[in-house]
Amino acid sequence: MGTIVKQCSRGLLKLCAVGALLTMGHAVMAATVGPVTDDLGVIRIAKGAPIQIGAYWVLSGADTALGLDEKRGVEIAFKDVGGKLLGHPLKLDAEDDNCNAEGGQTAATKLAANPQTVIVLGPACSSAATPGAPILWQAGIVNICTACTAPALTAPDRKPEYAGFARTVFSDSEQGKADAIYVHNVVKAQAVVTVHDGSPYAQQLQQVFADNFKQLGGKVLSQEAIAPTDVDMHPLLTRIASEKPDLIYFPVFTAAAAQILRQAKETPGLEKTALMGGGSLLSADFIEAAGPAVVGFRIGYPDLSPAAMGKNYPKFVADYKKAYGEAPISGYHANAYDGAMLTIKAIEKVAKSDSAGNLYIGKKALRDAVFSIKFDGISGPIACDQYGECSQFKPSVLEFTSADPKTFGIGTNPKKISP
Amino acid sequence: MARFNAVDVVLWALRIGVVSVVVGGTIGTLIKDRYNAAQWFDFVMFGLTIGSIYAQIALGYTMVYGVLRLINFAHGDIVMTGAFAGYFIANPLARSGFLENHPVLAMAAILAVAVTTSVSIAVLTERIAYRPFRRVVGLAPLICAIGVSFFLEQTFRGMFGSAVKSYPDPQWQRATFHVMGFNVPRIDVLVIGLALLFMGALYMIVQRTRMGTAMRAVAEDGEAAALMGIDVNKVVVFTFVLGGAMAGIAGVFYAFLYKQVYFFMGFTPGIKAFGAAVLGGIGNIPGAMLGGFFLGMVESVGPTLFLDGIGIRAPYQLRDLIAFTLLIMVLIFRPQGLLGERMAKKRA
Repeated sequence: MGTIVKQCSRGLLKLCAVGALLTMGHAVMAATVGPVTDDLGVIRIAKGAPIQIGAYWVLSGADTALGLDEKRGVEIAFKDVGGKLLGHPLKLDAEDDNCNAEGGQTAATKLAANPQTVIVLGPACSSAATPGAPILWQAGIVNICTACTAPALTAPDRKPEYAGFARTVFSDSEQGKADAIYVHNVVKAQAVVTVHDGSPYAQQLQQVFADNFKQLGGKVLSQEAIAPTDVDMHPLLTRIASEKPDLIYFPVFTAAAAQILRQAKETPGLEKTALMGGGSLLSADFIEAAGPAVVGFRIGYPDLSPAAMGKNYPKFVADYKKAYGEAPISGYHANAYDGAMLTIKAIEKVAKSDSAGNLYIGKKALRDAVFSIKFDGISGPIACDQYGECSQFKPSVLEFTSADPKTFGIGTNPKKISP
Repeated sequence: MARFNAVDVVLWALRIGVVSVVVGGTIGTLIKDRYNAAQWFDFVMFGLTIGSIYAQIALGYTMVYGVLRLINFAHGDIVMTGAFAGYFIANPLARSGFLENHPVLAMAAILAVAVTTSVSIAVLTERIAYRPFRRVVGLAPLICAIGVSFFLEQTFRGMFGSAVKSYPDPQWQRATFHVMGFNVPRIDVLVIGLALLFMGALYMIVQRTRMGTAMRAVAEDGEAAALMGIDVNKVVVFTFVLGGAMAGIAGVFYAFLYKQVYFFMGFTPGIKAFGAAVLGGIGNIPGAMLGGFFLGMVESVGPTLFLDGIGIRAPYQLRDLIAFTLLIMVLIFRPQGLLGERMAKKRA
């Protein structure tokens, strides 16, 4: 009887230990495969087989340009290293996440289910990254985000299931602050209204903006919310007009932002109210959706002028034009390129080959490498802090100059107006 | 003495809760006096405008349901096809200046192309997808309708891309009328006026023509109607023609109001219009119209009128919640809808 109790206790202890590890956000699968031993498991890539790099971006719908631009940035990075790494071809396995939580969850689950996925790049949207990154890390896969900027993803108090998440893009805690300073000091607005669409990106960015704007002495009259699928903004704008704001700040996505922009011009009381959006709107698709109302519209964005970017950025832009027959279609291509380069450098650092030519990559070692590598990227210096924030931020404000989508070009339409 | 069970208690609690929010919120909002008369007028106009669109779409749902007892979930996508067809004629007309200089002729041409397209697709949908299921009971026809919806969305996405396309914005649409000190956007008047005209015409067709009489006969009892010599297939096709025409018109109006077309644009107004049809009493044509206007008004005025007064922040994110809560309340206390499900009543 005593033995049974002892065995039961041991069993419970083991269960508790497994449970504790799982609640830490990760199932530990320490393994030795070939020459590599790793706490989180080892990926074996047979001789000649491709190194599979997963990715999830928005590749359909109104915000396609955001994701497609990043995919192209990664493709150029792969091309720049000859399409091969350590004798293995590089293969990009890109999924469409539709820029929403359900899409991010589905894409991440699919990528995590592939035991050959070495690392995952993307997404473009924080809504997709929020459920996606924990699913990937549960499988021991590092996620390097290339455009999702919600502050919570790399905040010091982030949950353990985000321990495998890093990003080569800035945090909106910087963007929101920079936008608040611009609106207060340059636009001289005293009272503002913010609008978000419930997405982590928009909600957190407008909150950071509002907090900073209040600290600067400004007044936030209200923080409104819409659904991303809303088309009739007239009632909301009429309500906002009753508050008489100097500026409306709405860092939402293409379709809804275009509706607000168009309808604000028609709303009595808002004819002279300044309007400002966020980085999700840097695309020709937004110009098409917003029509003539886009002229004069401003968005807060990191400085993409050649002077602010890394020294190899002009060459990258030339390669981009040569490869795709057009200038960059959105603003996160450089971050994606740097994300791909960080991936390549990390794999180079930790991968080991056996005498037969097979390649072995330890998952924990790869995570540690990603968080420790430093290099000069085309978007600026890349060096991750302990919470996965790897990029630097230089603020700017861009203003659209033409309603013709064909004139889209970063630096011309929209053009930089600050600093 | 009447006895109350748990369900009665819950229903009474619901009644009291909703009435308290509506009355308390309204009084609170009016006491705050935040909005002027012009702004209240604008809220009502916005509600009537979007309501007229919902009403037109709802007619398609209600007529098909009345005749076939089928919920045509692809109807919102038929609206999308009409809007797309209109886009492809509206943009060349805008570029050539014809839309600006000859608005009546241009709008007639745009509506003609949109209606032709959406009617064709609606009729093809009936002939290819729905007719084989006509005598099938159970969920198969409903699943088929959902499949048709996906098919249309993905076909248009494949053919025309997934990006948002912009409708032209002629100057004459942006003009306003001044009535008793209020500014009324011309586009709103146009959309509401034409919607009422077309809905009135549809009502007259259904009530006063031989084909309309045949429609009503089939709706009441298809088999008896067939025995009386009515060609049921012809009647069903005619129903889809009418529904498709209203969808095409609604698609063009919707696109001219909100200026955007894309492959998924029919989904949300489609679902809301279906709600409007149920609210008015599905199968009931005046009910669908009333339901559409009711839903539009609640969406537009509701968040401000009911929620501002009780201090709810960002009330407009709750507009669908308000609209559909009221829809549920109506259906709890009046399951047959506002005007009743006419055919069902007669059948019973």
